[in-house]
Parts: sequence; structure tokens; C-alpha cells
Amino acid sequence: MTTVPLPTSGPIRDTLEARPDSDNYLTHTRGVLSWVFTLDHKRIGVMYMWAVLASFLLGGIFALLLRTELLTPGPTITADASVYNKWFTLHGAIMVFLVIIPSIPAALGNVILPIMLGAKDVAFPKLNLFSFYLWMSGAVLCIVSLAMGGFDTGWTFYTPYSTTTDTGGVIPVLTAVFLLGFSSIFTGLNFVVTVHKLRPPGMTWFRMPLFLWALYATAIIQVLATPVLGITLLLLIVERTINIGIFNPSMGGDPVLYQHFFWFYSHPAVYIMILPAMGIISEIIAINSHRSIFGYRFIAFSSIAIAMFSFIVWGHHMFTSGQSPLMNTLFSAISFSVAIPSAVKVFNWVATLYKGSVSLTTPMWYALAFIFLFTIGGLTGLHLATLSTDVHLHDTYFVVAHFHYVMMGSALIAMIGGLHHWWPKIFGRMYHEKLGTVACWIIFIGFNVTFFTQFMLGSQGMPRRYYDYQPEYQVYHVISTMGSYIMAFGFTLTAVSLFGSFFTGQRAPANPWGGRSLEWQCASPPPFDNFAKTPRVGDCYDFTDVHWDEKTGGYWVDESADTAKDGRPA
Amino acid sequence: MPTMLQLLPNAAAHAVAAAAAAQSGAAEPSPRTFWMPPGASTIAPGVDLTLEVINWICYAFFAVIVALMVYFVAKYRHRRGERFRTEFPHHNTPLEIGWSVLPTLIVIGIFVVGFRSYLDIYTAPKNAFDIKVTAQKWGWTFQYPNGAQSEDLYVPSGKPVRLVLRSNDVLHSLYIPDFRVKRDVVPGRYTYMWFQCDHPTGLPGAELRDPNAKTVSGPLDASQRHALHCTEYCGTGHSKMNRYVYVLDETTFGEWMSKQAQWIDDIPEEELFFKAGPKLFQRCVQCHSLDGVNGIGPSWKGIIDRVKAYPMVGEGKKYATYQDYIRTSILVPGDYVVPPYANAMPTFKGQLNDKAIDALIGYMEHLDDFDPKTGKYLKAPAAK
Repeated sequence: MTTVPLPTSGPIRDTLEARPDSDNYLTHTRGVLSWVFTLDHKRIGVMYMWAVLASFLLGGIFALLLRTELLTPGPTITADASVYNKWFTLHGAIMVFLVIIPSIPAALGNVILPIMLGAKDVAFPKLNLFSFYLWMSGAVLCIVSLAMGGFDTGWTFYTPYSTTTDTGGVIPVLTAVFLLGFSSIFTGLNFVVTVHKLRPPGMTWFRMPLFLWALYATAIIQVLATPVLGITLLLLIVERTINIGIFNPSMGGDPVLYQHFFWFYSHPAVYIMILPAMGIISEIIAINSHRSIFGYRFIAFSSIAIAMFSFIVWGHHMFTSGQSPLMNTLFSAISFSVAIPSAVKVFNWVATLYKGSVSLTTPMWYALAFIFLFTIGGLTGLHLATLSTDVHLHDTYFVVAHFHYVMMGSALIAMIGGLHHWWPKIFGRMYHEKLGTVACWIIFIGFNVTFFTQFMLGSQGMPRRYYDYQPEYQVYHVISTMGSYIMAFGFTLTAVSLFGSFFTGQRAPANPWGGRSLEWQCASPPPFDNFAKTPRVGDCYDFTDVHWDEKTGGYWVDESADTAKDGRPA
Repeated sequence: MPTMLQLLPNAAAHAVAAAAAAQSGAAEPSPRTFWMPPGASTIAPGVDLTLEVINWICYAFFAVIVALMVYFVAKYRHRRGERFRTEFPHHNTPLEIGWSVLPTLIVIGIFVVGFRSYLDIYTAPKNAFDIKVTAQKWGWTFQYPNGAQSEDLYVPSGKPVRLVLRSNDVLHSLYIPDFRVKRDVVPGRYTYMWFQCDHPTGLPGAELRDPNAKTVSGPLDASQRHALHCTEYCGTGHSKMNRYVYVLDETTFGEWMSKQAQWIDDIPEEELFFKAGPKLFQRCVQCHSLDGVNGIGPSWKGIIDRVKAYPMVGEGKKYATYQDYIRTSILVPGDYVVPPYANAMPTFKGQLNDKAIDALIGYMEHLDDFDPKTGKYLKAPAAK
């Protein structure tokens, strides 16, 4: 690489300003077919994003139906308990398999990961497109299963109920989840190879942005755990269609075996959901505090630690299943170990605020909401990892509240925060900042009203998945349902703020938040091949040479100062 | 790990001590708190204490984290155009090791506390009174050593009770919030749970025996009966698998059990249909109605005439008489399923004897003599 002499300032800004009007990945080629057959990671990511957001809308509608039904004991909006059972099953299955699992890695990750690495694309662009179409076939099959009568198995597909229920959509949805699983495996594989092979010169492992560490740890889980889900669902299909007894005791099978298989995937899957979210939070907090992230190595290693521990704690979903007390004891002990790397991350994020320069942008509000909600979600995990209290709380609304704090309050809130953070980069438009912040507050309040109530509901003894309940629980249910309406309003405002940017949003500068990682060094939206020249890799959390520029409404990086500091040529 | 091993006998001794304390008479059930329902079993105080300890640890961590977060954000707030602060720590190894080690010690503590009270929950005393529990969609059958059966759970007070659980169909889970116990009911294997309650609730009041109450969520009897739920999703009627636990002092329990064992034997043949029929119907009411509205199964209104008209019922056919068909439908429900109903009914083989089946058939035959709303027997000079 030849050394390009860098002027003290100016030219970088000029190139960034010049680019938005010219060619970018959205305008590079035109027509529907240019999207259908695209191999560009950014376009694939954007397609994932629309599909995930559409699924989120669908899953959200089912959530609102559920909450409305629970306003009163007995019938409220449907007199048929099996209709309610289909609603909660669909809500769970859609939100887990179609929304949260693909939301950060497949949608945001696909767009951002290669740019953050300074690469032109992922390692296997065709495999990337293939996994998108696998995902789409899975999503279409879910719709087909709805048309075939839906399914009422719960998203966990516990046997022998799932192999004996006569709702017609069970086999299509199992096939759908099987395909979605392969999509997830291929995306993970792609990311592992990309991170290993396409890092630019100078980006050592410990110079990687923490979002990449998180995606890398996630990808490893995706590749190692998802095949177990695939084979389990295949066995379920075999049992249901040709009556080979694997899980159904009336045919000689073992239903507890199914639970082991299922949670061997689905517990690590919880970390497929939360790890990339933690990565986003690390980015947002560091950039908006404009200071180096506190304890970079601890955060990076804790991602890997969580990924490893995630494989050996699945049995804590089964403390009351009839599993032996020795197993329960071991799984309880190991489960506590996950608390430590999680706590370390939270402490590091809070410490990053210390003596920083905190800009309260919308993504930053989401990150702060994340810390608040994840702390509650994580701490209530202690109640559930503890053997004696879990016996009381298992399968009650306490568990429902706990995993909504982690999956929705943490993973999804981080995903929405990340969407705001990278929205200007992806679409080249600024959303309405005030509206975005207000919407974040409304979602935050609505979320707590909805789900904190459910902790009380559960510890008071209300079982989950109940269509009918005793009148003494009604007051909690009414509060919870009101919270869900508040949240729905908040999400509507978020949609207005984001989608409104296409019509009224200002043109986004290349670097609206003052980031140092590579994606902020290319134009917004990025050009088709990401970087006009191979970017220079510095310390992505050193913000000392980032300066505000009133003219562009964004930040610029004074690279000459950086060069002078560590003495390396660009 | 000697400490772990030492805990085992320790916990067993603990359980025995608790049982001994109970014999000598104990205080009232603990009252409902912000977090927990009333605690009525001997293990409840241990579980509640564990929960309380964890709660306070959570409050403390949460308060510190959120307070620091808010304080730092307020204090180091940056406004556009200001210079960034450049003096800040990048990392601090002693601090980071400290905040890794401190939570480690705390969670080890929580684990040990939870493990010890778990052993109390798990280990049934040797002298426990056994009750067999059969779960099936969507009800419970409790069987007592003398052959008595009930759909609500009746237990003696001041005595450890062990439930032996089995399922006839899919997974269920038996949960008694006031006792802090829960155990999955797994088809194809037996599971166990135990508890001891020292506070008698008394027998259910008369209003609780209303045969037409379709749900158990009616007005609460003043007595402190304890709710019992199914907590493993089992299909359409999952949220209807709620019953109650009644705790009786030893004498009342003994009397109740022997009365319960022979209730049907004492009823003369000709009074069966109105004395035993409505009572037995309570096991059918989740799926069948009396008023002509079809549920998961067909309504019983006019069922005898319909059965007589079935093509496979009659002399020389598969079922010689309508009684034959109904009897088979109760014992082998899948034998002949009439569309459009699914094969959803569980078998009652081993749960209803011939006399009980006679009572049900008689009830079906005489349905017109019962008020379809209240279920009252209209020609009842003899009843009561």
C-alpha cells in the first residue's frame, strides 16, 4: 500500500460531502430484479430489515389481541380458548423465529458488519442471498400454516401435545422453523469466515469494534446450536407423520428427551438474541459518550464467555420436569455463572459514562433504557436460577415478565436503538430526533407498565398461557394491558419518526454521531463498493480527534493528528 | 466438596425438625405480601426467605446501577459544540476484578441458600401419606388409599403428604401457589411431590358444590382453601384445570375419606340418576353441555335420541343398544367418533365403575326432568 499524504483537514470532509448525491448502493442499479438477485450485503440486509419489521408488526398485533383478551377473566374478545391458544403460539413463534433471532445479525449485521470491517462484502455473498431466500421460504411457510388452520402448540412445541394436537398448521410451521434455522446457520457461517478472513491490515482482534465481537460470538452459537434444533424438529415431523415413537410415550418415546433437545438449542438461542444487542449497546454508549469504552477486553471476553456458558445451562428450563435433583443442582450452579459476565458488561457500560461527554441522542436514550431494563431482566434471572424459588415461579407470569425484559426490553430495544443509530448511514436521511426520543420514552414507560406488573402476577401464582383466570388477578391484567397499548402508541410514533425521514428528513452526514469505527468513514448511504479507498484502521474508540462540523451537521475525524500520535502511516 | 455433601443429611434433618414442630401445632399461614401469596406449607417460610434475600440483593444492585447511570449522564452531559473531555480512565484492573469477584461470591451464596431449601422441597419424609394423582385433559383425579376419589384435593393437616403423579395424555403440571410446590406430570413415568400443611381449611361450603358452576372462579368461600393449577400448557382447556385444596384435621379427613369411598354404593339403584348423575357430570362439563350448545364434545341434550338414530346402533349392528354405545364412548372414546367432533375425549376406564356409568346413562335419559339452567331435579320429592 502506498502512503497517501494526508492534509491536515478538509479533503476527507470534501469527499464525504460530495458523495451522497452521486452513486450509492441504493441507486447503483435500478429495478426490482436488481434487488431480487442482488449480492450486495447492504441490500440483502435492507431486505431482511423490511421483512423483520413486517413480522414485528404481525407479532405485535397478536400481542395486542392477547392482552385485550386478558382484560377480563373468561371470554373478552373471543369465546374460544383454542383461538387464544393460537394467538399466543403465533405471537411467540413469530417474535422468536422471525423477529428477534434475525433482527440484529441478519438485518443490521448484514449491512454493518462488512463496512465495519472495511470489507467490500461478506465472505460468501451468494450464500448470503441464499440464506435470505431460505428465511423468506420459512416466513411464507408460516403464513401457509396459518391458512391451514394455524397451530396451538406454544412456540416450544412440547411433546406429546405437539404430535397429537389436531390443528392443521403444525407440520408447515415445523418445516418453516427448520428452514429459518438453516438460514441462521448460513448467516453465522458467513460472519465467522468474514471476521476471520476479511479484516483489513491493522485491525487486530483487539482493534475490532465490540459489535463485531458480539456478532462473532453470536455466529459461533448459531453455527453450533442451530443444527440441534433442526434435527429435533425433523424428528418431531417424523413422529407426527409416520408415527415413529421418539418423544411420545404412548409409542415408546420420552417427552423429557424432547425438552432436553429443544432447550439445548433454545437456551443458546437466548444469547443469539441478546449478545448482538449487547454489541450494539457497547457501540452506542461509547460513541455517544465520546470516550474510549471502559474495559474493552473485559467486554470482548465476556461475550465469548457468555457464548460458551450458554451451551451448558439448558437444564434450568426443566427444574420441575422430573429431571434428577443432581442434574437440577448442577444446572442451577452453572446458570449462575452466566450472571457474572453479564454483570461485568453492565458495570463497564456505566463506567464508560464516567467522565465522558454524554450526548443524549435517540440511540443513546435507547441504550440507557437498555441498561435499566436489562438490569431488571438479568437480576430476576437470579430468582429463576435458584432452585427453591424457581419451583414456585416456573411457568408463571414471573417467567413471562423475566424473558420479556430480556428479549424485548433488552434485545428488541437494542435493535430499535441500533436502527436509529445506523438509520442515517443506511438510508442517508436523518429521522426526527425529538419525535424519536419522545417515542423511546413512551415505549420505555409502556414496557414497564406492561411487564413489571407481570412479575407480581407471576409470584402471586398466576400460571402462564391461561385464557381464563381467577378474578383476584384482574387488576394486574388490566394494568398490563394498558401498558401494552401505551407501548403500541410508542412504536407507532417510532415508525412515524423513522419512515417520515424519507419524506422530510435532512440529508445525513457521513458521521452524525462522531463515530470512529470504519462505517462512519464512508458516505451515507455507503457507495456500492463501500469504500473508495481502503480505509485506515485506527483505534475505533479513540474519539480525541473527532470534531464537530457545523457546515455538514456531522463530525469529522482529524486523521493527521492520529497518525502523528501512533507514528504509523495511514 | 465436603460442604455440599454435608448439606444433604443436614437438610433431611431440617425437614424432620419442621415436621416435628408441625405436630405440636403451628402458627397461622403467613399472610399475602406484595410479592407472595399466603404461605401455608411447612416449606413456604424457607422459600419466601430465599426470595426475600434475593429481592434485597436485586434492589441494592439495581439502585446502585441506575443511580450511577443517571448521575453520570446528568453530570457529564455534553452539548453540541463543547470540547470533549479527554481525562478519563480507560480501564482499572483492580476495579474490574473486584466487580467480577463480588457478584461471583454473591451468586455462590444464593445458590447454596436455594439448594438447601430445594432439598427440603424435594425430599419427602418417609412417613408421608400417599395420594395418587391422575391428570388428563382437562381435569384431575385424586385417589386415596381406601379407594376414594375426588376432583378437588383433600389432605390431612399436620402430616406430610406425597402426591404420586401420572398423566393419561399430554404433559401437565401440578402447582399449588400457597404451598410453593410444583411438579410436571409426565405421561409414561411417575413423578412425585410432597408438602405438609398444618392449617386446616375445613370442608367446602355448600355454595361451592353448585353442580352447574362451569368454572371454579365463583365467589370465594370464606375458608382459606388453596388454589391448585395446571401450569404446563395442555391445550384448549388448560386454564380450566383449576381445582382447590382442602386441608382437614385428621378426624374430619378420615370421615371424609370413608364417606367419599362409598358415596355411590349407598345410593339405591333407582335414585342413581338424580343423586349420582349430576355429581358425575361435573367431570364431563368442560366439554359437554346440557342446554344444546355444542362444545368440544356434543351437548347431552337429546343425546339418547340421536344415539338411537346412529347407523351403527341397533340389533345385530356394532352396538346392540344405545347404552352399549354410550358405555363404549366413555371407556374407549376413540372407538367410534361421530363427525364433526375430534377424537379429543380421554378414557374414563378405571375411574368410573359400572354403577357410575349406569348413573350417567340414567342422567342422560332423564335430562328433561332437570332444569337446564340450574340443574335442579324438578320431580324431586325424594331428593333430600
